[in-house]
Amino acid sequence: MISRSTAGKATHGQLRRHNLQLLLRGVYQGLADNRAALALHTGLAKPTVSELVAELIESGLLVEEGWGSSTEEGGKRPRLLKFVPAARNVIGLSINDERVLGVLTMLDGRMIAQHTIDLTGIQGQAIVPLVIDVIHGLMAQLDAPLLCISLGVSGVVDAAEGFVTYAPHLDWQNIPLARLLLDRFQVPVHVANSTELAAMAQYVFGLPDPVHSLAAVRVGSGVGIGLVIDGALYHGGGEIGYLQVAGYDDSPVAAQQPRLETVVGWPYVVERMHALRQRHGGSLLPESEGELTYLHIRHAAAEGDAAALALEDELCHYLSQVFAWIIGLLRPDHVSLAGPITDLGEALLNQVVRRTRQLILPEMTEKVTFSLMTSPHVVAVGAVARALQLELGLV
Amino acid sequence: MPALGIITNDQTAVFQRDVIAGACEVAASRGYSVIVDSIAESVRSPRAISLDLRDVVGVLALADAVPVDQLQAMLRRGIPVSLVSHRVPSLPIPAVFTDNVQGMAELARHVIADCGCRKPVYIGGLSGQIDGAEREAGFRRELLRHQISPDDAIYLQGNFDADTAAGAFQQVLASGHEFDAVVAADYLMARAALDLLRHAGRDVPGEVVVVGFGDGAEAQAAGLTTVAADIIEQGRRSARQLIGQIDGLHITGTTVLNVRLLVRKTSR
Repeated sequence: MISRSTAGKATHGQLRRHNLQLLLRGVYQGLADNRAALALHTGLAKPTVSELVAELIESGLLVEEGWGSSTEEGGKRPRLLKFVPAARNVIGLSINDERVLGVLTMLDGRMIAQHTIDLTGIQGQAIVPLVIDVIHGLMAQLDAPLLCISLGVSGVVDAAEGFVTYAPHLDWQNIPLARLLLDRFQVPVHVANSTELAAMAQYVFGLPDPVHSLAAVRVGSGVGIGLVIDGALYHGGGEIGYLQVAGYDDSPVAAQQPRLETVVGWPYVVERMHALRQRHGGSLLPESEGELTYLHIRHAAAEGDAAALALEDELCHYLSQVFAWIIGLLRPDHVSLAGPITDLGEALLNQVVRRTRQLILPEMTEKVTFSLMTSPHVVAVGAVARALQLELGLV
Repeated sequence: MPALGIITNDQTAVFQRDVIAGACEVAASRGYSVIVDSIAESVRSPRAISLDLRDVVGVLALADAVPVDQLQAMLRRGIPVSLVSHRVPSLPIPAVFTDNVQGMAELARHVIADCGCRKPVYIGGLSGQIDGAEREAGFRRELLRHQISPDDAIYLQGNFDADTAAGAFQQVLASGHEFDAVVAADYLMARAALDLLRHAGRDVPGEVVVVGFGDGAEAQAAGLTTVAADIIEQGRRSARQLIGQIDGLHITGTTVLNVRLLVRKTSR
C-alpha cells in the first residue's frame, strides 16, 4: 500500500485492526466458529471478542447463522459465526506487454468477471488510461463495495510505495501507479511485481497441501522470480532475465554467458525454433513463425520431432540452472514454473527437475516439490490474494 | 423514465431472448425502460434499424446486428454503446463475452481426458463471428495440448444453425467416417447431431460422446453435456456495463464471464 505506518509502538487503532483481523481470520480459516471458541483461539477476553465480532457483523464480513452444540457441562448453545465472501469485492490486475487483465472477485477468490484490453502496439504512458478503463470495466460489475485494487506489473516495482521503477517491456520508468489510482478511485491500492504475485497465488490458492516457503519462476517475454517465505511475500524477487547463465553446447551462444531472457524468452524461442527447424528438416511444426505456439512445440516433441526435442533440451538446460540456484540458496519447500512456457506441459517440468537434480546435492532437492501454474489469471489472482492479506489479514 | 435501446437481429432466438431478459431485469432495477429493435425476425426480409437514438440514453448491440458505420455514428453522437458477444477492434466500444477459451478447453479436456476420445467431429459456428472463431481456435489448441493433431479431427460448418449442422453431420454419418465424439460450438447444433445419432441407432455415449457449448432448457431435456454459459447473466452484465458508461465510467476492452462444465448423459 502506498502509505505505511512507521515502526514502533502500535496505536490503539492499529491494535484494534490487528485484533479484528485475528478474529476474522479465525472464522475464515475454519479455526473457530463462535465467540467462545474465538476467545480461546486468540487469547482475547470474551467481552473484547463480543465487541469486535459485533463490529465485523455490522460491516457485513461475518454473519450469525445457526446454533452450535452445547458443551458437555450443558449450558447455552453458541450462536455460530460465518464468514461472508460476498461482503466485499476485490479488483486484481495483471499488466504485461501483451495486455491488461483484470479480475473481479469475492473475498474467497471466486471470480465474478474478467476484463481485458489488448496492448499490442501500445507502450509507455498510453497504457495508464487503459489500466483505468479496465478498472472501470470491473467497477461497472461490482456486486458489493470495493475493498481495494491490487496490481501486478512485469518490471521492477517498489511495493512499499506502489511505484513502478522500471518496466522495459511496457516502456515505463518511475510511474507512481498506486498514487495515480488512489487519487482517482479513493480506495487502497497495492502494486507488486507480477512474478511475486504469481508466487502468492500459488501459495494461497494453488497447492493441495500448505507449504512454508515457495518460489515461482515465470517465463514469458522475460523471466521473473517470486518468493513467499512463511506466508509473506518477499519483495527481493522480480525480474531476473538480465542474469547470465552458462551457454548451451550446441547453441550459437555457447561460447558466451547469455542473459537468461535472451535464451528462454518467447522471442528467442521463435527465432531458435526457426533455426532448428531448418537444421533438422521435415518438422511437424507450422511453417509460419506467426502460427507457432508452445503447444505446437509440445505436440511435436511428444511425436518425436527432432527440432522440437532439441529446443526443449536447450530450455531445460537454462531453466535447470535457475532452479538449482534457487534451491541451493533458499531451500524452498516448493518451486513452481509459471507463464506461457507452462504450455510445454509436465514433460518439460519433469526434464527440468531431472537436470536440476544433477546440478546440486541430492539432499537439497529430495524434499522439494514442483508444479506448473497453468492458469492464465495467475498474476491477477495473486494480486487478489495479496489484497486479502494486506487489507483483511485473511491469508 | 430514461430508456436503454437493444438492437438485435432476432429477439425470439434462444441467445438473444436470454440476453434481453437479463438486460431488462437490470434495467428495471436501475430505473430504465427498454426499447427493443429486432431487425431480422424474418431471415428473408431483414429490415433496417429503426430505433430512434433520440429516445434512448444508451444502446446494447447484440452480436453483429449493428453495422460498423452505424456504431461509429452512435459514438459521434456521444451515445454510450456496449456490444454483446461481438467486437469491433477499430472502435473503442466495450463488449461482454462468455469465456470461449475456457469453455472450449473444459469441453475438449472432458471429451479427450475423461472420456478417452481421440477422433472428434467439430461442428463450428459462423466462421466470421467472434464466438465461432474463438471456439474453433480453442478446440484446435486443446487437441494439441492432448497430443491429437488438429488435422485429425473432422470439421463441419454449422453456422450456429441446427438445420445447417444437421445437414452437414448427416453427410459425415452417411460417409462412414470413423469418429468417437461430436463437439459443437453451440448446444443446439450438438442437439441436432445427437438426434441424428440416435435415429441412426448409434450408442450415445457408449460409441459416440456428444457435447456442446452453452446451455439451455433444450440441452437439459436432451441430457446433453455442455459448458454452461449463463446467457441471462451475460445480459445482466451487459446492461451493467452500459449503465456504467451512462454513469460516466470510460470503458474500453472486453468483460469476460466464466463458464462451467455440466456433465450429463451424452458423455462418460
